[in-house]
Amino acid sequence: MKSPSGVAFSAIQRTALHTASLFVPAAERQNWSCEWLSELWHVRSSYIRIDETISLQSQGEIMLFCLGAFSDALCVRELATQSGSRRPHIHGSAAQTLLWLSAILLLCFLITSLLPGIQAEREAAQFLINPNALIISEATDHSFRPSIPAGLYLNWKYTHQRFFQDLAFYQVTREPAQAGSARMSWNVARSSTNLFSLLGVPLKYAFDDGSGLPSVILSHEAWMRTFSGDPNVTGKVLRIGRGNARVAGVAPAAAWELPGSPDVWLLQADTQIATDIPYRTPGYLVAQLSSRGQEAMRNSGDGISAHNLEDLLIDLSATSVNAPVEGPWNLYGFALFLALVALPAVSSVSLGETQMTPHQASTRECVRRFVFLGAKFFLISGIGLFASLDIAYCSTSSYSMAAECLQLISCFAICLFGFRWALADQRHRCPVCLRRVTNPASVGLASRTFLGWNGTEMICMGGHTLLHVPALPTSWFGDQRWLYLDSSWQFLFADSGIY
Amino acid sequence: MPCMAAEAKLSHTAAMILQAISAGYVYGFSIMEVTGLPSGTVYPAMRRLERDDLIRSQWERQSIADAEQRPPRKYYKITTAGRSTLEASRRRYPLLERLMPTEEARSL
Repeated sequence: MKSPSGVAFSAIQRTALHTASLFVPAAERQNWSCEWLSELWHVRSSYIRIDETISLQSQGEIMLFCLGAFSDALCVRELATQSGSRRPHIHGSAAQTLLWLSAILLLCFLITSLLPGIQAEREAAQFLINPNALIISEATDHSFRPSIPAGLYLNWKYTHQRFFQDLAFYQVTREPAQAGSARMSWNVARSSTNLFSLLGVPLKYAFDDGSGLPSVILSHEAWMRTFSGDPNVTGKVLRIGRGNARVAGVAPAAAWELPGSPDVWLLQADTQIATDIPYRTPGYLVAQLSSRGQEAMRNSGDGISAHNLEDLLIDLSATSVNAPVEGPWNLYGFALFLALVALPAVSSVSLGETQMTPHQASTRECVRRFVFLGAKFFLISGIGLFASLDIAYCSTSSYSMAAECLQLISCFAICLFGFRWALADQRHRCPVCLRRVTNPASVGLASRTFLGWNGTEMICMGGHTLLHVPALPTSWFGDQRWLYLDSSWQFLFADSGIY
Repeated sequence: MPCMAAEAKLSHTAAMILQAISAGYVYGFSIMEVTGLPSGTVYPAMRRLERDDLIRSQWERQSIADAEQRPPRKYYKITTAGRSTLEASRRRYPLLERLMPTEEARSL
């Protein structure tokens, strides 16, 4: 019959062992606990007196025994850590390289998914502006200044036209605006209602509540800047100038390529344009050419003639609205192609396969090498795509030509120098285990180049190969060579088992 | 080469524990009793000796333990490498053999 103090001591001792077991690595904990609990049982048995009790002094000694479990647990932990460090470490291995590249790729991808400008570029590339839509201006003015008066637009719009199938007009003024409590000054384009349909630009979040308030279309930049890209912006009432207007949609990213850089378009019927905009105030005219107009344009370069308000003949020039938007994938493909073409110019494409011994590499080794090289190229290509987008759009939240150029240049540079690195790295990888050769040793004297070999020797730490790289390529030793080490070298590699 | 390293570096305590196992004290508590070393010294030392392949551990069969109505014990046994290391340690510590009786002598 156990005494209450005996039960309490037993519980304390077992608790001490369980606590100590927490220091033991999980994989070994059960085995360790079994051993100590078994030993505890035997220790307690050896102290039990004839009356089946254990003296207080003996309980103390058993407690000391149990406290020794902490030292043992820490020792087991330390040994497990040491044996862990003996496991095949991946430093310099092919796996490490691929892991690093994958991590960089993932990081670049995550950054890409957070940048709003990239989404804008993708959107801009998704639609094509009507190819027959042209900005019409007076031939003498190629600076994209407003040159067609509102009155002339109305005159042309409502008279039979030979060259124009449809006409739209807008005029940009700087006006105060208010959205909620935010006050700002916007470039407001008072435009005819058919502007976006003529351009063929699909609006995002198009909205029409039939409230009778004028409709306003936000540019992508204004939407991002003022409303932080809020998709529920449509339907909100803004104060523009002296009147209210309701947000009827958001223009896609590329639509603000129109001259005048409007922040918003206030859509107005032609009757309202006639009353709101002074008759002779110049604005921008967007026209869709008729087939006759297209023919006339082809025959006369890009100029046609028409009568102005004074019925005088004026020369008009037409400029395409449709700015070429390549989109991220087209630019990426082009940059990748350029990088591959330019690669032989910056690096030797040889993999340094020359060898000093008649070693026949197995098919598996060859396949592994080329799969590894292919994986590096693939990951670098991915990094080129996402990193170039990150670079191009890190400081801009909307589509721009400058960002596209930056993307093209940075993608080309990343891919070109990435591929160059991949080839150089491959040349310094043991053909057997794909680890980088290390411990470079300079051999020979440069001053005796023509008397004997001089260069650098590097060795595979797995004990497979020795790489000879000539310092100065000569006719008899022009490229690096691999020496495959036989078993006589193995004594140098005491821990070869880990490789 | 763990054996060679252990042979060169075996401390007196480790040599005593190895000697005890060689003498037939095959589980932790009996080694503690014969050497007079605390559990916090004996068990960690046995882990290191086992790591260096100087001793080997083996769990007693459950059926034997059940028959005697006690939990199974983990027994330790000296290996061939352990014997040669112990020989070297005996040369280094000449009194090692006299420190503890063999299991056979104790039973007498």
